[in-house]
Amino acid sequence: MNSSRRQFLGAMTMAAGAYIAPPALLSAQHAPAGRVAVGLCSEYNRHVVDVLSAMFDQLGGLEKLVRGKTVAIKLNMTGTPTMRLRYLQQGMTTWPHPQVVGALVHLLGRAGALRIRLLESALVTSEPLQQFMFAAGWMPGDFERAANRVEFENTNYLGSGKDYARFMVPHGGLLFTGYDLNHSYRDCDVFVSLAKLKEHTTTGVTLSMKNCFGITPCTIYGQDVPEDEPGLVPTGGRFLLHSGKRQPPKSAPPEVNLNAPKEDGYRVPRAVADLVAARPIHLAVVDGIYTMAGGETPNRHAAPIHPGLLVAGTNCVSTDAACMALMGFDPMADRGTPPFEKSDSTLRLAEQLGVGTRDLSRVDVAGTPIAKARFDFRRAWNTTV
Amino acid sequence: MSLNAKWVPMRWPCGPIEAARISKSSPAASELRKTVEGWTQPSALQLVRGTPINCLVVDWASGTADDEAQQAALRPLIAAGRELGLSFVGKVGTSKNPAAIVTAGRAAGLQAVMMDRAASMDASASHPLDLPVILGFARDSIDWDLTTDIFSATGNVWPGVVLPTMKGDTGVGGPTGDPWVDSNGWFALLSRRMVSDQSLWLEIDLPESSGVLPVESYCRAIADSRAYGSHWVLSLDDAMRAGMLNGDPQAISAWKSISAALCFFEDHSEWRAFEPMGVLAVVSDFRGQNSFVSGETLNLLNRRHVQFEILDRRGALGGAVNGLKAVLWTDDDPPTSEQHKNLLDFVEQGGLVIAPQYWGPAGGVPRQEYWLSGYNIYDLRKGRIVVAAGGFSDPFQLARDTHLLVGRENDLARLFNPGTTNCFASIGPGRSKEIVQIVNYADRTASYLAVWVRLNAHGAKLWSPNSKTPISLRCTPESGGTSFELPELSVNCAIEIERTV
Repeated sequence: MNSSRRQFLGAMTMAAGAYIAPPALLSAQHAPAGRVAVGLCSEYNRHVVDVLSAMFDQLGGLEKLVRGKTVAIKLNMTGTPTMRLRYLQQGMTTWPHPQVVGALVHLLGRAGALRIRLLESALVTSEPLQQFMFAAGWMPGDFERAANRVEFENTNYLGSGKDYARFMVPHGGLLFTGYDLNHSYRDCDVFVSLAKLKEHTTTGVTLSMKNCFGITPCTIYGQDVPEDEPGLVPTGGRFLLHSGKRQPPKSAPPEVNLNAPKEDGYRVPRAVADLVAARPIHLAVVDGIYTMAGGETPNRHAAPIHPGLLVAGTNCVSTDAACMALMGFDPMADRGTPPFEKSDSTLRLAEQLGVGTRDLSRVDVAGTPIAKARFDFRRAWNTTV
Repeated sequence: MSLNAKWVPMRWPCGPIEAARISKSSPAASELRKTVEGWTQPSALQLVRGTPINCLVVDWASGTADDEAQQAALRPLIAAGRELGLSFVGKVGTSKNPAAIVTAGRAAGLQAVMMDRAASMDASASHPLDLPVILGFARDSIDWDLTTDIFSATGNVWPGVVLPTMKGDTGVGGPTGDPWVDSNGWFALLSRRMVSDQSLWLEIDLPESSGVLPVESYCRAIADSRAYGSHWVLSLDDAMRAGMLNGDPQAISAWKSISAALCFFEDHSEWRAFEPMGVLAVVSDFRGQNSFVSGETLNLLNRRHVQFEILDRRGALGGAVNGLKAVLWTDDDPPTSEQHKNLLDFVEQGGLVIAPQYWGPAGGVPRQEYWLSGYNIYDLRKGRIVVAAGGFSDPFQLARDTHLLVGRENDLARLFNPGTTNCFASIGPGRSKEIVQIVNYADRTASYLAVWVRLNAHGAKLWSPNSKTPISLRCTPESGGTSFELPELSVNCAIEIERTV
């Protein structure tokens, strides 16, 4: 399906501007819908660029979004760089594949992005992001060569910034009133979430929105952080957000309700919804060419699968809703229904915050129809494991 | 008579000295005393027949009233052992009249004595000893100028994952949340460099255990020493020795596995000629007050799977730094004028030197990197001198910072799904073959382990103690190198890689 760039930018503006919407808009039926493009791509090869390029055209084109702009891409490099599902490289299961990263960087550069910054809060380390990539066997130089002025930053701590950037959650927030993040999430004009199409043990699915759980620095939201100020280096995982057993340093915005449940199935979806409301995603890209079923990180119950899909959209909630449908789940599902057996739906919460709609009847899906591209994750897992 | 580098040593606890030790530690242990009596009998030597063990280390003198009886008890054992082709080394733990003790040992058939430096000096004060000496040192105070052709070290760790966090009132955990792995590999590598034509024997106290140690634990101790080029003086726990003597099937089976672990390295003795690989050289005199930071940094670099070379600061650097990418100078002492010139040449040509003090050209203006707290960086033509603002005091931080400064893009080997495995890469004469030794330090089998090396390979074989024939490994090009998928790993294996030139 074709669409004009005017429509594309309109959708962008709605998605990015949702966080300043007045309270009256905060209902599912008024949440904005963004266009979503679904592409079939069977392998990680040079065709990835062609498929993504066609998808971005279906969304209205990248140029008006990124020309002359600083674009930040949050990668989805969860876990440690040396941990693999079976013998498979991370790009085949847990992380976006470097071919997709490179293709996206190339297309953004071709569309005129002034500066492209690859971001990840590398687990329990303050080392440069390129070093984290090398440890996984990635070649960051390939990304540098894919466009002009490509930069990297590990956002799990203060990094190259002078201070943390504060993002207040519109309407007060579901879990925290605001979040202090690495400056990179402020110092960009366009924010892209590049995620993997996966399930998630805690939140049911991990897509473009859940990817943003990782924008929180562990120097503030990690284990053993100081009481008053952020730590200097990241320590441990984001247990503070998961369990709520303690509060972040006093320098950071406080939790909305100290008596809120301490269960991660309650807390993590709310933190994610807060984050994507406070730090809007302009472009969501989800790699589902090869991925895994049965969890989000390598474990003995997980299985590699091959959906052969790429998904992109201008609204993260709508994009994730399309992804869920492609995975064989109902995006309108909530706690107690797959894949949300143990958690609230991040999509529903983000929708309530006005970020976007998960109602696919309101979403314009371009490219391959969902019904033709659907890959049932649970069925694949049952037949594989 | 001389020390034999081909000896494969085993401690052989027997005789009245061992019986007295047992009586002191567990007076009611009559079963143990029977074991000691049994191991004193020449017939017990049948246990080592068909194994690579060819040198038994026995207590010869302890400076107690038991010495005379001990030596009398050992004479038939030694005589029978010599008939079987075994060599005997007598431990001399006394400074009283050592020359006579050694002379008696020679008469009884000992081929060498093992003693510490003080006893050795006393013994050789008047005239040369009748037997060659294996000098024993405490690891943390080893004198690299006095080591003998074979020398031993105490104070080593039992290789494996350290689970307890306290020993009495002392914390024994590591500085991170990761499992803490004990290994003597770094010390063996250090020894290889400091005294390359001599052999290190590691004496290791067995871990406290209520029963028989798992056979994997013994095999790991063998692999951790032999893979890196040293010998563990094989030592069995009391229950294991009793079981072997009594023909217990479990003990016999375990003993066969231990023997296979030894055979694995004896069958591949050519690997001893392979040289450690590295793009980083760690330079220190590894002596006195410098030995802690430099030694522990080697240990922790090894823990990060960093392959390194070692250079003795007392030697000339000269061409030793050619081909390297980085030099870590751990000592506070500055380089000599010749070393200074070598290092500056190295830096100007693009090398990296990491040092606790700046000794580059005067007037250098440092810069900082936000991700490298506590260091000043001096750019010097094509290279850099990186100076720790407060010197080096924390080897954990130093190993981490060094790895990042050298850059993982220069890693020579990486492990995926490593768990608590580690690897050591060495290259053969002619540089056509590389060996990557892999040791699993956990009791649990390592699964889906993959090894990546920075070289193009056209063939690879996996050697394992479980099989005399290798498995052919598929070479998969990855990230500018080659990766290999390994089958489940219990204790250790080695990949023999044919390099594509």
